Amino acid sequence: MVLTIEEIREVVEGVILCDDNNVNIERAMASDLMSDVLAFAEPGIMLITGLHSPQVIRTALVVGIPVVLMVRKIDVPESVIDFAKESGVTLIATKLSMFETCGRLYMRGIKPARREME
Amino acid sequence: MNVQDALLEKLQEFFRDSKVYEFMNRDVICVTPDKTLLHVKEIMRIKRISGVPVVDDGKRVIGIVSLEDIIKALEGNYIRESVEKRMTKNVVSLHENDTLQDALKAFEKYGYGRFPVVDDENKLVGIVTKHDIIYFLLTKLGLIYLHDRRMEEVLERSTSLVTGEALERGKADFVFHIDYFDVNKIGIGAARLKRFLMEKGLDEELVRRVAIATYEAEANVVIHSGSDGYIYCFLDDEKIAVRVEDRGKGIENIELAMKEGYSTAPDHIRELGFGAGMGLPNMKRYSDRMVIISEVGKGVVVELMFFRREKDENKGDR
Repeated sequence: MVLTIEEIREVVEGVILCDDNNVNIERAMASDLMSDVLAFAEPGIMLITGLHSPQVIRTALVVGIPVVLMVRKIDVPESVIDFAKESGVTLIATKLSMFETCGRLYMRGIKPARREME
Repeated sequence: MNVQDALLEKLQEFFRDSKVYEFMNRDVICVTPDKTLLHVKEIMRIKRISGVPVVDDGKRVIGIVSLEDIIKALEGNYIRESVEKRMTKNVVSLHENDTLQDALKAFEKYGYGRFPVVDDENKLVGIVTKHDIIYFLLTKLGLIYLHDRRMEEVLERSTSLVTGEALERGKADFVFHIDYFDVNKIGIGAARLKRFLMEKGLDEELVRRVAIATYEAEANVVIHSGSDGYIYCFLDDEKIAVRVEDRGKGIENIELAMKEGYSTAPDHIRELGFGAGMGLPNMKRYSDRMVIISEVGKGVVVELMFFRREKDENKGDR
Protein backbone atom coordinates (compact mmCIF):
# COMPACT_ATOMS: atom_id res chain seq x y z
CA MET A 1 0.00 0.00 0.00
CA VAL A 2 1.29 3.43 -0.93
CA LEU A 3 -0.08 6.63 0.55
CA THR A 4 0.23 10.17 -0.76
CA ILE A 5 1.19 12.99 1.57
CA GLU A 6 -2.41 14.19 1.57
CA GLU A 7 -3.69 10.72 2.46
CA ILE A 8 -1.23 10.51 5.33
CA ARG A 9 -2.36 13.90 6.60
CA GLU A 10 -5.93 12.69 6.51
CA VAL A 11 -5.19 9.45 8.36
CA VAL A 12 -3.43 11.25 11.22
CA GLU A 13 -5.71 14.30 11.16
CA GLY A 14 -2.63 16.45 10.86
CA VAL A 15 -1.36 19.46 8.99
CA ILE A 16 1.13 19.64 6.17
CA LEU A 17 3.69 22.24 7.19
CA CYS A 18 5.62 22.08 3.98
CA ASP A 19 5.62 19.77 1.02
CA ASP A 20 8.08 20.22 -1.74
CA ASN A 21 8.69 16.77 -3.06
CA ASN A 22 5.21 15.28 -3.21
CA VAL A 23 6.40 11.70 -2.82
CA ASN A 24 4.37 8.63 -2.02
CA ILE A 25 5.12 6.67 1.09
CA GLU A 26 5.18 2.91 1.41
CA ARG A 27 7.32 2.38 4.50
CA ALA A 28 7.98 4.20 7.74
CA MET A 29 9.95 4.04 10.93
CA ALA A 30 9.22 5.63 14.30
CA SER A 31 11.98 6.74 16.62
CA ASP A 32 13.11 9.54 18.86
CA LEU A 33 16.68 8.42 18.72
CA MET A 34 18.71 9.96 15.93
CA SER A 35 21.28 7.20 16.05
CA ASP A 36 18.54 4.63 15.54
CA VAL A 37 17.41 6.52 12.49
CA LEU A 38 20.95 6.62 11.18
CA ALA A 39 21.47 2.95 11.88
CA PHE A 40 18.27 1.51 10.54
CA ALA A 41 16.41 3.86 8.26
CA GLU A 42 16.37 3.12 4.57
CA PRO A 43 16.19 5.99 2.12
CA GLY A 44 12.77 7.00 0.84
CA ILE A 45 10.81 6.17 3.98
CA MET A 46 8.81 8.40 6.29
CA LEU A 47 10.19 9.14 9.74
CA ILE A 48 7.67 9.44 12.56
CA THR A 49 9.11 11.16 15.60
CA GLY A 50 8.22 12.91 18.83
CA LEU A 51 11.10 15.33 18.45
CA HIS A 52 10.45 18.79 17.08
CA SER A 53 13.99 20.00 16.60
CA PRO A 54 15.86 21.03 13.45
CA GLN A 55 18.01 18.04 14.23
CA VAL A 56 15.37 15.72 12.91
CA ILE A 57 15.38 17.48 9.56
CA ARG A 58 19.14 17.34 9.36
CA THR A 59 19.12 13.64 10.14
CA ALA A 60 16.48 13.08 7.48
CA LEU A 61 18.65 14.94 5.03
CA VAL A 62 21.68 12.86 5.79
CA VAL A 63 19.85 9.55 5.59
CA GLY A 64 17.77 10.46 2.56
CA ILE A 65 14.38 10.51 4.27
CA PRO A 66 11.94 12.65 2.22
CA VAL A 67 9.07 12.91 4.73
CA VAL A 68 9.02 13.61 8.48
CA LEU A 69 5.88 13.27 10.55
CA MET A 70 6.05 14.96 13.94
CA VAL A 71 3.63 13.72 16.59
CA ARG A 72 1.94 15.08 19.73
CA LYS A 73 1.73 18.71 18.64
CA ILE A 74 1.25 20.76 15.54
CA ASP A 75 2.82 24.05 16.59
CA VAL A 76 6.24 23.14 15.29
CA PRO A 77 8.79 25.96 15.66
CA GLU A 78 8.92 28.24 12.63
CA SER A 79 12.68 27.72 12.35
CA VAL A 80 12.18 24.00 11.95
CA ILE A 81 9.58 24.47 9.23
CA ASP A 82 11.85 26.91 7.41
CA PHE A 83 14.71 24.49 7.64
CA ALA A 84 12.56 21.67 6.26
CA LYS A 85 11.56 23.93 3.35
CA GLU A 86 15.16 24.80 2.66
CA SER A 87 16.16 21.17 2.82
CA GLY A 88 13.37 19.92 0.61
CA VAL A 89 12.00 17.68 3.35
CA THR A 90 8.23 17.31 3.57
CA LEU A 91 7.00 18.05 7.07
CA ILE A 92 3.71 16.90 8.55
CA ALA A 93 2.55 17.36 12.15
CA THR A 94 -0.23 15.74 14.14
CA LYS A 95 -1.69 16.09 17.61
CA LEU A 96 -2.06 12.33 17.91
CA SER A 97 0.30 10.37 20.12
CA MET A 98 3.14 8.34 18.65
CA PHE A 99 1.23 5.13 19.39
CA GLU A 100 -1.98 6.20 17.73
CA THR A 101 -0.18 7.73 14.77
CA CYS A 102 1.70 4.52 14.10
CA GLY A 103 -1.38 2.41 14.70
CA ARG A 104 -3.51 4.32 12.25
CA LEU A 105 -0.88 4.32 9.54
CA TYR A 106 -0.19 0.65 10.05
CA MET A 107 -3.90 -0.11 9.70
CA ARG A 108 -3.85 1.76 6.41
CA GLY A 109 -1.11 -0.47 5.09
CA ILE A 110 2.09 1.46 5.72
CA LYS A 111 4.85 -1.11 6.18
CA PRO A 112 7.81 -0.98 8.51
CA ALA A 113 11.17 0.13 7.13
CA ARG A 114 13.49 -2.71 6.32
CA ARG A 115 16.38 -2.73 8.72
CA GLU A 116 19.13 -2.69 6.24
CA MET A 117 22.17 -3.82 8.13
CA GLU A 118 21.84 -6.32 10.89
CA MET B 1 51.53 -16.48 27.62
CA ASN B 2 50.25 -12.98 28.04
CA VAL B 3 47.44 -11.40 26.07
CA GLN B 4 49.79 -9.54 23.78
CA ASP B 5 51.60 -12.70 22.78
CA ALA B 6 48.41 -14.66 22.30
CA LEU B 7 47.02 -11.95 20.08
CA LEU B 8 50.19 -11.80 18.03
CA GLU B 9 50.25 -15.52 17.51
CA LYS B 10 46.71 -15.50 16.22
CA LEU B 11 47.21 -12.61 13.87
CA GLN B 12 50.63 -13.32 12.49
CA GLU B 13 49.60 -16.10 10.14
CA PHE B 14 47.61 -13.66 8.05
CA PHE B 15 50.31 -11.07 7.78
CA ARG B 16 53.53 -13.00 8.11
CA ASP B 17 54.87 -11.68 4.81
CA SER B 18 54.39 -8.04 5.65
CA LYS B 19 57.70 -6.20 5.66
CA VAL B 20 59.28 -4.59 8.67
CA TYR B 21 59.27 -1.18 7.00
CA GLU B 22 55.47 -1.35 6.89
CA PHE B 23 55.09 -1.45 10.64
CA MET B 24 58.28 -0.06 12.13
CA ASN B 25 58.20 3.25 13.93
CA ARG B 26 60.12 5.67 11.76
CA ASP B 27 60.38 8.36 14.37
CA VAL B 28 63.12 6.55 16.14
CA ILE B 29 65.01 8.39 18.83
CA CYS B 30 68.73 7.61 18.98
CA VAL B 31 71.84 8.94 20.72
CA THR B 32 75.51 9.27 19.88
CA PRO B 33 78.06 7.36 22.00
CA ASP B 34 79.58 10.48 23.56
CA LYS B 35 76.41 11.20 25.59
CA THR B 36 76.10 10.10 29.22
CA LEU B 37 73.73 7.46 30.54
CA LEU B 38 72.12 10.20 32.57
CA HIS B 39 71.31 11.96 29.33
CA VAL B 40 69.74 8.75 27.98
CA LYS B 41 67.75 8.31 31.17
CA GLU B 42 66.26 11.79 30.68
CA ILE B 43 65.36 11.03 27.08
CA MET B 44 63.64 7.85 28.19
CA ARG B 45 61.74 9.67 30.88
CA ILE B 46 60.62 12.53 28.69
CA LYS B 47 59.79 10.47 25.62
CA ARG B 48 58.49 7.58 27.68
CA ILE B 49 60.45 4.98 25.79
CA SER B 50 62.30 1.98 27.11
CA GLY B 51 65.26 1.65 24.78
CA VAL B 52 67.47 3.92 22.69
CA PRO B 53 69.75 2.81 19.84
CA VAL B 54 73.24 4.29 19.72
CA VAL B 55 74.52 5.44 16.33
CA ASP B 56 77.81 6.74 14.93
CA ASP B 57 78.27 9.75 12.66
CA GLY B 58 77.05 7.78 9.67
CA LYS B 59 73.84 6.81 11.54
CA ARG B 60 75.04 3.22 11.68
CA VAL B 61 73.86 1.28 14.73
CA ILE B 62 76.72 0.53 17.10
CA GLY B 63 74.88 -0.19 20.32
CA ILE B 64 71.71 0.11 22.33
CA VAL B 65 70.82 1.31 25.82
CA SER B 66 67.79 -0.26 27.45
CA LEU B 67 65.90 0.59 30.58
CA GLU B 68 67.60 -2.36 32.19
CA ASP B 69 71.01 -0.84 31.44
CA ILE B 70 69.87 2.36 33.12
CA ILE B 71 68.66 0.55 36.22
CA LYS B 72 72.00 -1.26 36.45
CA ALA B 73 73.79 2.06 36.04
CA LEU B 74 71.79 3.57 38.87
CA GLU B 75 72.46 0.59 41.11
CA GLY B 76 76.13 0.47 40.17
CA ASN B 77 76.46 4.21 40.51
CA TYR B 78 77.89 4.85 37.05
CA ILE B 79 74.98 6.79 35.55
CA ARG B 80 77.28 9.69 34.66
CA GLU B 81 79.53 7.58 32.50
CA SER B 82 79.44 7.67 28.73
CA VAL B 83 77.08 5.66 26.63
CA GLU B 84 79.98 4.25 24.67
CA LYS B 85 81.43 2.61 27.75
CA ARG B 86 78.25 0.99 29.02
CA MET B 87 75.96 0.38 26.06
CA THR B 88 75.09 -3.12 24.87
CA LYS B 89 77.38 -3.53 21.90
CA ASN B 90 76.25 -6.70 20.17
CA VAL B 91 72.96 -5.28 18.95
CA VAL B 92 70.50 -7.48 17.15
CA SER B 93 68.89 -5.45 14.39
CA LEU B 94 66.19 -6.20 11.89
CA HIS B 95 66.50 -5.28 8.24
CA GLU B 96 63.74 -3.11 6.81
CA ASN B 97 62.94 -5.83 4.28
CA ASP B 98 62.64 -8.59 6.87
CA THR B 99 59.15 -9.98 7.28
CA LEU B 100 56.75 -9.87 10.17
CA GLN B 101 57.54 -13.50 10.78
CA ASP B 102 61.26 -12.72 11.04
CA ALA B 103 60.50 -9.97 13.51
CA LEU B 104 58.36 -12.19 15.70
CA LYS B 105 61.02 -14.87 15.67
CA ALA B 106 63.54 -12.31 16.84
CA PHE B 107 61.29 -11.29 19.71
CA GLU B 108 60.86 -14.91 20.67
CA LYS B 109 64.52 -15.83 20.34
CA TYR B 110 66.14 -12.89 22.10
CA GLY B 111 63.39 -11.74 24.43
CA TYR B 112 64.27 -8.10 23.85
CA GLY B 113 61.63 -5.43 23.99
CA ARG B 114 62.68 -3.67 20.80
CA PHE B 115 64.81 -4.06 17.71
CA PRO B 116 66.44 -1.28 15.73
CA VAL B 117 65.70 -1.49 12.02
CA VAL B 118 68.46 -0.84 9.48
CA ASP B 119 68.75 -0.50 5.72
CA ASP B 120 71.29 -2.07 3.35
CA GLU B 121 74.01 0.27 4.55
CA ASN B 122 73.31 -0.66 8.14
CA LYS B 123 71.89 2.77 8.78
CA LEU B 124 69.16 3.20 11.39
CA VAL B 125 65.79 3.74 9.74
CA GLY B 126 63.33 2.74 12.46
CA ILE B 127 62.58 0.72 15.54
CA VAL B 128 60.12 -2.08 16.22
CA THR B 129 58.39 -3.05 19.44
CA LYS B 130 55.63 -5.61 19.89
CA HIS B 131 53.35 -2.67 20.26
CA ASP B 132 54.19 -1.51 16.74
CA ILE B 133 53.31 -4.92 15.40
CA ILE B 134 50.02 -5.08 17.23
CA TYR B 135 49.21 -1.55 16.09
CA PHE B 136 49.96 -2.56 12.52
CA LEU B 137 47.91 -5.76 12.67
CA LEU B 138 44.90 -4.14 14.25
CA THR B 139 45.02 -1.38 11.68
CA LYS B 140 45.06 -4.01 8.97
CA LEU B 141 42.07 -5.61 10.58
CA GLY B 142 40.20 -2.38 10.36
CA LEU B 143 39.87 -1.18 13.89
CA ILE B 144 42.24 0.01 16.47
CA TYR B 145 42.04 1.22 19.97
CA LEU B 146 45.00 3.24 21.04
CA HIS B 147 45.33 4.70 24.45
CA ASP B 148 48.85 5.70 25.00
CA ARG B 149 51.64 8.14 24.45
CA ARG B 150 51.32 7.76 20.71
CA MET B 151 48.12 9.68 20.78
CA GLU B 152 50.07 12.90 20.57
CA GLU B 153 52.22 11.75 17.69
CA VAL B 154 49.17 10.66 15.79
CA LEU B 155 47.49 13.97 16.39
CA GLU B 156 50.44 15.78 14.92
CA ARG B 157 51.02 13.31 12.15
CA SER B 158 49.41 13.87 8.81
CA THR B 159 49.54 10.31 7.58
CA SER B 160 46.51 8.12 7.31
CA LEU B 161 46.05 5.84 10.28
CA VAL B 162 44.51 3.28 8.00
CA THR B 163 46.73 3.24 4.94
CA GLY B 164 49.79 5.15 6.10
CA GLU B 165 49.62 7.51 3.14
CA ALA B 166 49.79 11.25 3.49
CA LEU B 167 46.57 12.96 4.46
CA GLU B 168 47.75 16.49 4.88
CA ARG B 169 45.16 18.68 6.42
CA GLY B 170 46.04 21.53 4.08
CA LYS B 171 45.35 19.34 1.08
CA ALA B 172 41.98 18.03 2.15
CA ASP B 173 39.29 18.18 -0.53
CA PHE B 174 36.78 19.21 2.09
CA VAL B 175 37.23 20.88 5.45
CA PHE B 176 34.59 21.76 7.98
CA HIS B 177 35.27 23.44 11.28
CA ILE B 178 32.94 22.15 13.99
CA ASP B 179 32.96 25.47 15.81
CA TYR B 180 29.63 25.29 17.60
CA PHE B 181 28.47 23.68 20.82
CA ASP B 182 24.74 23.67 20.12
CA VAL B 183 23.38 20.14 19.94
CA ASN B 184 20.67 21.32 17.57
CA LYS B 185 23.27 22.13 14.98
CA ILE B 186 24.76 18.66 14.87
CA GLY B 187 24.97 17.38 11.35
CA ILE B 188 25.68 20.64 9.60
CA GLY B 189 29.12 19.44 8.65
CA ALA B 190 27.87 16.01 7.57
CA ALA B 191 25.12 17.57 5.48
CA ARG B 192 27.65 19.86 3.78
CA LEU B 193 29.96 16.97 3.14
CA LYS B 194 27.07 15.02 1.66
CA ARG B 195 26.25 17.86 -0.72
CA PHE B 196 29.90 18.25 -1.63
CA LEU B 197 30.22 14.54 -2.48
CA MET B 198 26.95 14.49 -4.41
CA GLU B 199 28.18 17.41 -6.49
CA LYS B 200 31.26 15.36 -7.28
CA GLY B 201 28.92 12.83 -8.83
CA LEU B 202 29.72 10.01 -6.45
CA ASP B 203 27.44 7.04 -5.98
CA GLU B 204 24.46 8.02 -3.83
CA GLU B 205 24.54 5.00 -1.55
CA LEU B 206 28.23 5.50 -0.89
CA VAL B 207 27.70 9.17 -0.13
CA ARG B 208 24.93 8.23 2.23
CA ARG B 209 27.21 5.92 4.17
CA VAL B 210 29.85 8.63 4.39
CA ALA B 211 27.31 11.20 5.54
CA ILE B 212 25.84 8.98 8.25
CA ALA B 213 29.18 7.96 9.70
CA THR B 214 30.41 11.55 9.60
CA TYR B 215 27.22 12.74 11.26
CA GLU B 216 27.88 10.40 14.19
CA ALA B 217 31.46 11.54 14.46
CA GLU B 218 30.36 15.16 14.37
CA ALA B 219 27.77 14.49 17.07
CA ASN B 220 30.46 13.00 19.26
CA VAL B 221 32.62 16.08 18.95
CA VAL B 222 29.74 18.37 19.89
CA ILE B 223 28.29 16.26 22.69
CA HIS B 224 31.36 14.74 24.25
CA SER B 225 34.55 16.57 23.42
CA GLY B 226 33.91 19.91 25.09
CA SER B 227 36.07 21.41 22.36
CA ASP B 228 35.75 22.36 18.73
CA GLY B 229 36.81 19.99 16.00
CA TYR B 230 37.43 19.49 12.31
CA ILE B 231 36.09 17.30 9.57
CA TYR B 232 38.52 16.58 6.76
CA CYS B 233 37.66 14.63 3.66
CA PHE B 234 40.14 13.28 1.13
CA LEU B 235 39.08 11.85 -2.20
CA ASP B 236 40.83 9.69 -4.70
CA ASP B 237 39.79 7.19 -7.34
CA GLU B 238 39.63 4.30 -4.94
CA LYS B 239 38.27 5.68 -1.74
CA ILE B 240 36.93 8.44 0.43
CA ALA B 241 38.79 9.12 3.65
CA VAL B 242 37.15 11.15 6.39
CA ARG B 243 39.03 12.30 9.42
CA VAL B 244 37.21 13.90 12.33
CA GLU B 245 39.31 15.21 15.15
CA ASP B 246 39.01 17.22 18.30
CA ARG B 247 41.26 18.26 21.15
CA GLY B 248 38.74 17.65 23.86
CA LYS B 249 38.15 15.30 26.73
CA GLY B 250 38.94 12.04 24.98
CA ILE B 251 37.33 8.68 25.50
CA GLU B 252 37.85 7.00 28.84
CA ASN B 253 37.07 3.49 27.77
CA ILE B 254 36.93 2.87 24.05
CA GLU B 255 35.88 -0.74 24.36
CA LEU B 256 32.86 0.27 26.37
CA ALA B 257 32.15 3.15 24.00
CA MET B 258 32.11 0.72 21.07
CA LYS B 259 29.32 -1.29 22.69
CA GLU B 260 25.90 -0.64 21.24
CA GLY B 261 23.70 1.07 23.78
CA TYR B 262 26.50 2.35 25.96
CA SER B 263 26.54 6.09 26.32
CA THR B 264 27.92 8.70 28.64
CA ALA B 265 25.62 11.41 27.30
CA PRO B 266 23.73 13.38 29.96
CA ASP B 267 19.91 13.38 30.11
CA HIS B 268 19.40 16.75 28.45
CA ILE B 269 21.27 15.41 25.43
CA ARG B 270 19.25 12.20 25.40
CA GLU B 271 16.05 14.23 25.36
CA LEU B 272 17.18 15.66 22.06
CA GLY B 273 17.40 12.23 20.53
CA PHE B 274 21.07 11.62 21.06
CA GLY B 275 23.03 9.48 23.43
CA ALA B 276 21.55 6.20 22.27
CA GLY B 277 24.97 4.66 22.47
CA MET B 278 25.04 3.96 18.76
CA GLY B 279 27.59 6.54 17.65
CA LEU B 280 30.76 4.51 17.36
CA PRO B 281 28.94 1.31 16.39
CA ASN B 282 27.17 3.22 13.61
CA MET B 283 30.44 4.64 12.34
CA LYS B 284 31.88 1.17 12.21
CA ARG B 285 28.76 -0.22 10.59
CA TYR B 286 28.78 2.27 7.75
CA SER B 287 32.49 2.54 7.04
CA ASP B 288 34.79 0.00 5.47
CA ARG B 289 37.63 0.79 7.82
CA MET B 290 37.60 2.71 11.01
CA VAL B 291 40.42 3.74 13.25
CA ILE B 292 39.82 5.57 16.46
CA ILE B 293 42.49 6.94 18.66
CA SER B 294 41.96 8.60 21.95
CA GLU B 295 43.42 9.38 25.28
CA VAL B 296 41.72 11.03 28.19
CA GLY B 297 42.34 14.75 28.03
CA LYS B 298 43.93 14.64 24.59
CA GLY B 299 40.97 14.43 22.29
CA VAL B 300 39.81 11.93 19.73
CA VAL B 301 40.78 11.23 16.16
CA VAL B 302 38.45 9.12 14.06
CA GLU B 303 39.48 8.09 10.62
CA LEU B 304 36.86 6.53 8.40
CA MET B 305 37.61 4.90 5.07
CA PHE B 306 35.04 4.17 2.41
CA PHE B 307 35.97 2.24 -0.69
CA ARG B 308 34.51 3.25 -4.01
CA ARG B 309 33.20 0.15 -5.65
CA GLU B 310 30.77 -0.84 -8.32
CA LYS B 311 27.20 -0.27 -7.25
CA ASP B 312 26.14 -3.88 -7.16
CA GLU B 313 28.99 -4.98 -4.94
CA ASN B 314 28.26 -5.30 -1.28
CA LYS B 315 30.44 -4.33 1.61
CA GLY B 316 33.35 -6.71 1.59
CA ASP B 317 32.97 -8.05 5.08
CA ARG B 318 29.26 -8.76 5.03
